[in-house]
Amino acid sequence: MSGQDRRAGGRRGISGDVWNALALFGLTALLILGSRWISPGFGGWSQAKAILVLSSFVVVVAFGQQLVILTGGLDLSIASVMTMGGVLAFTFIGASSPALLWGVPGVLLLTAAIGALNGIGVVWLRVPPFIMTLAMGIIVYGATLGLTGGTPRGQPSPLLSALFTADLAGVPLVIYLISVLAVLGTLLQRGTGFGRRLYAVGTNPAAAHIAGLPVRRITMMTYVISGASAGLAGVLMVGYAGGATLTMGQSYQLPSIAAVVVGGTSILGGSGLYLGAVGGALLLTTFSTVIASIGIAEGWRTVIYGIVILLALLLLREELYVWVGRLAARPGGIPPRSTPSTAMTGGNK
Amino acid sequence: MSASVANTRQRTAMSIRRLLGNGTLIVAAIYALLFVIFALRQADALSRNSIVDLFNNALPLALAAAGGTLVVLTRGFDLSVAGVVALSNVLMATVVGDGPAGALEGLAMVTGIGLLVGAVNGVLVAYVRLQSIASTLATMIVTSGLALLVLDAPGGNVPDFVADTLTDVVAGGIPVAAVIALAVVLAWLVLRRTDWGVALYAVGADETAAGLAGIPTRRVMFLAYCLAGVFYALSGYMLSALTATGNPNAGNSYLLLTFAAIAIGGTSFSGGRGDVVGAMLGAATLTLLQKVLFSAGVSSFYTGIFQGIVMILAVLVAALSDRIASGRRA
Repeated sequence: MSGQDRRAGGRRGISGDVWNALALFGLTALLILGSRWISPGFGGWSQAKAILVLSSFVVVVAFGQQLVILTGGLDLSIASVMTMGGVLAFTFIGASSPALLWGVPGVLLLTAAIGALNGIGVVWLRVPPFIMTLAMGIIVYGATLGLTGGTPRGQPSPLLSALFTADLAGVPLVIYLISVLAVLGTLLQRGTGFGRRLYAVGTNPAAAHIAGLPVRRITMMTYVISGASAGLAGVLMVGYAGGATLTMGQSYQLPSIAAVVVGGTSILGGSGLYLGAVGGALLLTTFSTVIASIGIAEGWRTVIYGIVILLALLLLREELYVWVGRLAARPGGIPPRSTPSTAMTGGNK
Repeated sequence: MSASVANTRQRTAMSIRRLLGNGTLIVAAIYALLFVIFALRQADALSRNSIVDLFNNALPLALAAAGGTLVVLTRGFDLSVAGVVALSNVLMATVVGDGPAGALEGLAMVTGIGLLVGAVNGVLVAYVRLQSIASTLATMIVTSGLALLVLDAPGGNVPDFVADTLTDVVAGGIPVAAVIALAVVLAWLVLRRTDWGVALYAVGADETAAGLAGIPTRRVMFLAYCLAGVFYALSGYMLSALTATGNPNAGNSYLLLTFAAIAIGGTSFSGGRGDVVGAMLGAATLTLLQKVLFSAGVSSFYTGIFQGIVMILAVLVAALSDRIASGRRA
């Protein structure tokens, strides 16, 4: 993959994003190793596994969130959608394993439909994304609250829980799931026409429209995917926690944005890579896990968490300058014909 | 003669369009409509207690929305409102002494903190040029953490003097909250006409053009964040008077409701258009909506659904009326 990118000449920005993501992975690894000094039980493989499992929800939610942010939007409904997904799975799938077959796709369809409503509001009714998704979040939360009467009733699903408890070659199943998602998500962004159009829309919607891209349909799709990924995260949460609460999604709204932003995605749209958001999710999860283990007050943990996000923003900005400088210094542009051919070879791989 | 009739008719049409284009009037109409429904359903809606209650309940959110509007006018988002409201609230419930001196000391302390947080936001956004959502997200998390450090669980006591005085009535029946709201509205009407106020709209509408026109865009934005921080602190102060207790999570619901109020108040999230008074009325509308739903027997579980729908409708109505108002130009 990376060899082809280099050959494509004009697409060196990709390797910048990939480096950024690798740097985040490296920092995460260093942080895990370094935590050995805090407690001798830390810094090993078992802690790394625990962190990967914990981060899986942010990894999943950040996928949709990032697509929305790439087009210059923002999805503030994911906390409520995630809660709804979890509550629905808990209530309707319950302990029945066959029910997973229709239940999980059902939950995903429903949450994707909520995303579609967001998309309709943003694209056709021209409601600002911030307002549309905020309002949708309030509505969905109200609906969940009303439907459950305040307390979700249901049963945990043993098969969903197995994702977290069972392992293959010493690795919990859910880690395979997020690894596959990380690869597929990154390929969707860089290896498909949809992905490439997405960046074009995010960089300059007007230009993308003039170039004949279906700007509305693409923007709409990002909200649909974001709804579904929040729903999936909710379903996974039920497997992990063995139950559903009305606040289960709440603590994922801001981390979903923070992971994307720390992962090097511009909140203005048009640039960023899913691998980076995955790195951001891992780093932030590791960080909160490590701080939690120091045994300091929750207040200090929160303060440090905020300062880390701020530092990441400041550092990324420097990096951005260097990157922009490199781009400006590079002679020549993208040969227009080479893009479709790389897309095809990339797609075949 | 027929020409003059046509002229009058045209002028009427224009002024109707201008009224429709004014988000503040639209939200005032929505509020009036809700109030009529409320008065019809609730027998004691017009009693003094009920009206004092309406003002008291709406003011904290109205102050937060007023501050948030200043930032939204510059095309930014300020999420730090949640943290500053919580921090002011827990400080008022823990370290402030009773009596007028304590109240003033508390006021000075929380507005100082609000100003400081606003200044940090302002530096990050206006001078360091970070994205406003991202940097205020960080300051929000930091201030929420500080609030948890001051008070790690709901509790504490807001001094009686603050809790009683600010929720009382003066001059034979005017709620203190109404006096404060009026003072903010008057201050805004003056501010809007100052160089800074005019520049605020110009920066939000087109930062580059404003800069080329000689407006110190960075300083204008910086001041908007500073003043917003002060408003959030005042909001936390009034919230403390209302609830008389401290809660480190008090700001959580403010994050959503502040932006809902701003949207209902007709402020455009693409900058340069909107009004502080509209946002304050938007906050009052959200508060009244809760009461109306309650009096109509709607389960409080479903309040959110109506709030969300009103929010979207307000934005749609504003956009529609804007299109009608600018119809002449098209």
